[in-house]
Amino acid sequence: MRMACPRAPGDAQFPCNAANFMTSAIVSVTGMSKSFPGVRSLDRVDLEVARGEVRALVGENGAGKSTLIKIIAGAYRPDDGELAFDGRSTRWSSPHEAARAGVHVIYQELILFPDMTVAQNIFVNDQPRNRFCLIDKADMRRRATAILEELGSPIDPDEKVRNLTVASQQLVEIARALKSNAKLIIFDEPTAVLGGHEVDILFAMIARLKARGVAVIFISHRLEEVFAIADSATVLKDGKLVGTLPVKELTQSKLVSMMIGRPLADMFPPKATSEPQGAPVLAANDIWSGPKVKGISLALHKGEIVGLAGMVGSGRTEIAHALFGSAPLERGSVTQGGTAATSPDPCQSIARGIGFLTENRKEEGLFMLQDIAVNISAPILGRIGSALFLNRTAERMLARQQIAQYAIAATGPNAAVVNLSGGNQQKVLLGRWVNTSNTALILDEPTRGVDVGAKMEIYRIIRELANRGLGILVISSELPEIIGLCDRVIVIAEGRKTGELTGRDLTEERVMELAVATGGAGLPNGVAA
Amino acid sequence: MSSPAEETERPMPRMSVGNLLRDYGLLAFLLLNVIVISILSPAFLKPENLLNILTQAAPLGMVVLGQAFCLLVRGLDLSVASVMATSAVLATSFAATDNAMMPVIFAAAIALGIAVGTVNGFLVAKRGVSPFLATLATTIVLQGIRFLYTEGSSGSTLPEGFAVIGQGRFLGLPVNLLILVALTLVLGYVLHFSRFGRQVYLVGGNPRGAMLVGIRSNAVIISCYVICAVVAAIAGLCLVGYVGQVDQWTGKGYELDSIVAAVMGGIAINGGRGNVFGALLGVFILVVMFNAVILLGLPVQVQMILKGIIVIAASALYITDGNRRVA
Amino acid sequence: MTPTQSTPASTAVTRWFRRIPLSLIVVVALLLLLTVTGTVLSDRFATSRNFLNVFQQAASLGVVSLGQTLVVLTGGIDLSVGAMISLTSNLTSGLIDGNPDRVLPVVIGVVALGAAIGCMNGLLTHYLRIHPLIVTLGMASILQGVTLLYSLAPLGKVPQEFQVLAYGRFLGVSIGGLAMIGLFVLAAIFLHFTRTGNAIYAVGGDPRGAHLMGISVARTLAIAYGLSGALAAITGIYLVSRMGTGDPWRGEGFELASITPVVVGGTILAGGRGGVLGTLLGVYLISLLNNLLNFLDVSTFYQWIIQGLIIITAVAINVERGRRA
Repeated sequence: MRMACPRAPGDAQFPCNAANFMTSAIVSVTGMSKSFPGVRSLDRVDLEVARGEVRALVGENGAGKSTLIKIIAGAYRPDDGELAFDGRSTRWSSPHEAARAGVHVIYQELILFPDMTVAQNIFVNDQPRNRFCLIDKADMRRRATAILEELGSPIDPDEKVRNLTVASQQLVEIARALKSNAKLIIFDEPTAVLGGHEVDILFAMIARLKARGVAVIFISHRLEEVFAIADSATVLKDGKLVGTLPVKELTQSKLVSMMIGRPLADMFPPKATSEPQGAPVLAANDIWSGPKVKGISLALHKGEIVGLAGMVGSGRTEIAHALFGSAPLERGSVTQGGTAATSPDPCQSIARGIGFLTENRKEEGLFMLQDIAVNISAPILGRIGSALFLNRTAERMLARQQIAQYAIAATGPNAAVVNLSGGNQQKVLLGRWVNTSNTALILDEPTRGVDVGAKMEIYRIIRELANRGLGILVISSELPEIIGLCDRVIVIAEGRKTGELTGRDLTEERVMELAVATGGAGLPNGVAA
Repeated sequence: MSSPAEETERPMPRMSVGNLLRDYGLLAFLLLNVIVISILSPAFLKPENLLNILTQAAPLGMVVLGQAFCLLVRGLDLSVASVMATSAVLATSFAATDNAMMPVIFAAAIALGIAVGTVNGFLVAKRGVSPFLATLATTIVLQGIRFLYTEGSSGSTLPEGFAVIGQGRFLGLPVNLLILVALTLVLGYVLHFSRFGRQVYLVGGNPRGAMLVGIRSNAVIISCYVICAVVAAIAGLCLVGYVGQVDQWTGKGYELDSIVAAVMGGIAINGGRGNVFGALLGVFILVVMFNAVILLGLPVQVQMILKGIIVIAASALYITDGNRRVA
Repeated sequence: MTPTQSTPASTAVTRWFRRIPLSLIVVVALLLLLTVTGTVLSDRFATSRNFLNVFQQAASLGVVSLGQTLVVLTGGIDLSVGAMISLTSNLTSGLIDGNPDRVLPVVIGVVALGAAIGCMNGLLTHYLRIHPLIVTLGMASILQGVTLLYSLAPLGKVPQEFQVLAYGRFLGVSIGGLAMIGLFVLAAIFLHFTRTGNAIYAVGGDPRGAHLMGISVARTLAIAYGLSGALAAITGIYLVSRMGTGDPWRGEGFELASITPVVVGGTILAGGRGGVLGTLLGVYLISLLNNLLNFLDVSTFYQWIIQGLIIITAVAINVERGRRA
């Protein structure tokens, strides 16, 4: 049933929904619950999305968003509750069944084959065939072109996916969903891998989907997106439904407080009261590195916590890598503990007391085949015994300390990290780097995957470290976190520093303004902040 | 950040049956073999026979130790057989039968190993070439050099000392075997107790992660290939002593056998997993099986079939994703 | 990103032209270089008679390398082809034993056997999660053992007519060589115009992704390895037709020899990229090279070095960030 009311991006048409509420819902979830060993991921959640509606699904890490969409897409079976799709009550037996019915999920990790062409990727499991049972390439190309045109994209269907930008690759996945006449497309943090301008392209895409009558659910950590493209937002917290409201009735602060469920003030320890003194412990001097770092200068002093804010993809992680020496510096230099370096490397950085907790714990941080003790001692092998003899006893003792300090739920220092939950794994990494560094610490998404209680603990530890004299650089995509924790915040947009905020000036709105300052998806006119 | 297959916040259950199989299965398998064989053929357990087996197995055992290092850093070394042969050719090329030249020969062999290992390691670590192809290329080039040098004919003069190494005894034990034991102790120690050994496991388990904790991955990788080649060179000299003569095909088959034995012993082709004892266990299983076949009077064809089955079955014990990476 | 309007034929051609992989260009360049060098260095080289000979001789390497290409595209490797050739060669001549009536059934049976064993390789590597290197190596050992059990020495013979496969000519061109090209063409059609063929590329490019897209990885691997086994069996049969009799060691060395043209032709060992055209060109390159070196009286031993150098060159060019050659 096609929507009678056409929409423009950001123009929430809630009355349209309300009138056709019962009959135009494409997906309806009632009383949905799901538990995993030790954690209740979803607790009696209700959700209803109308055809052609764009719904944002927001909430902190661990709120249950991922679980909910996986149930809707058939990847998980619920313990309890009802799921109805396209008017019929269903229990998906597999994601393929859900896909055939019209539910498609586009995950952050795109499922694409880089050496195959766009057309081949779109039709990868489902190529059109001619009467000889051979693939009809002309037809495939024609159909691919048609879908791409409908999405308003100039991509060449014969181009190899490897040569496309990430935004275009995402588009190919959307095209793939469309070719099977998707009725509901779910995006899991789609803008996480996109730069400012590319986000615009995605939003234009979503608007076209809406015009076609396709419903969209997207998970996002980025509140500006909710206001830019969604008709309504559902907020989850700790597995429970907090509420679903049309965007017109929401403000940023209301959304935030719905998400965290408590006033910002309680979560964070008091900030530093005195001005930073002395020479910086870590500084960047007009550094250029790769395509994403363009002339950044910043300075981190003893005892302060500085935040790097910005949209995902703005280059903050790349700045961190450049500071640490794990990415090459094309221009400029980095000062570590007073010594300037034009080509730093991780080994030197660690020797100078600098640590770097990376964003990607499974791929970059942890040694999944090893136990906790090995993971904790990894950067400081030089300090545990000699080259000829690794002192494993000392290593275990160190691990025990960390386990106790961070309340890591594990059987002991020799527990394999692969068996720990995501939050505990993050704590192991935190323990590793806190232990290693006595000059400066770079933390990239330090509370990713950690539950709220543990987050507070981590904030406290970070502040304690700062009080002890370290300089700490925190990268975070969670606005409340970065504002609550940091003494000052440097905002990055598209590889450049757009501003620095501290004190009274440090508000979510100001951060947001600076984060989109060079032309990313802006706040639509008339939305109250 | 999510992926379709990932389940965030949920610990992966440990496959307990898989673990049990892995940790003890191979040992049990070996013991079972030994028991069955001794029942079928009492000659097996005679000290002479056992020492013979071990002497024969010694060169392969050495090569496996070196190969283990390469496998642990997600590589492999197909050039070991060629290195062995080249080293053996070196032994005959000093035209000496007295033992005064032996230290020189050993030094030359070690230098050869260092040279080849460095080239292999450089190609893999710094040029991103697949280890399969890099070491295959080295094999062929070495072969060519060797043929060039000898003009295709077998070498002749070998200092007597080699016969002592290959077949002689010292304190009642075969010299070959003693060298293997010494190498095992040294390399095993390095791998399990030294800082370098820890770095090997970390680089193999997560190369990017290792770089981010300040480990110089390239140096570690190159060192592993050097160790492998040096050990292969030494093994070549021991093999020469055992066989008594040198030809172009000395060491033939050792490259694949050493990989197979290591994988059977639990060293994953994906890197980061396994230990030297498992690797040697793999060798012993193969060698015991060969010996059993001979003692039982079974033809060599049966040996080949059995070897194939054992290789597949033993590798299947390690049912993990550790062996999925491409060559 | 180029605009997609309906293009006139000429721009479509230029677009296709730009898409030719660098590796193919390199192989063709090397082929040309070789031909020119050969013409200069030896007057017996650049004759049509010699080229036709090479065309014929390349058939055996070509067919087995074709099978290897399919397996390598899935990201694997088949080291059992050598033993398979030995097995099928001796089995074929032994079973036919000069009897013309037996030719067809034996040939069909042997090829089916090769396919079945190949399938088994693919399934073992998928379900037991063992690396194809290990599985096919183990299988090679088993196959060689079985071959020797069957007979330790060359066995049986084939009727005269059978040898037409190897020696027969059609319009002056070797039938065997033509058949090989025919197989390559069929394989190319298979890879680019069937779902299973596309699935081979998908599995090689991203096995996890392929699975998530509903592609049966087990079935794809079984087919790829099965075809490799069947093609190795065909190679064994072809070699019997050439020699007149089988040989239990006939296939020795073919496993590594079959990988060289694949790699030189631009198919990367990591899988997912490359194709049969590259392998075909690689086969001719190697065969022509050996031919020239024979003319120049270069000992077989030196030929090894040169082959090694070719591999190194091909690899150096194909190495690209992200996928290891």
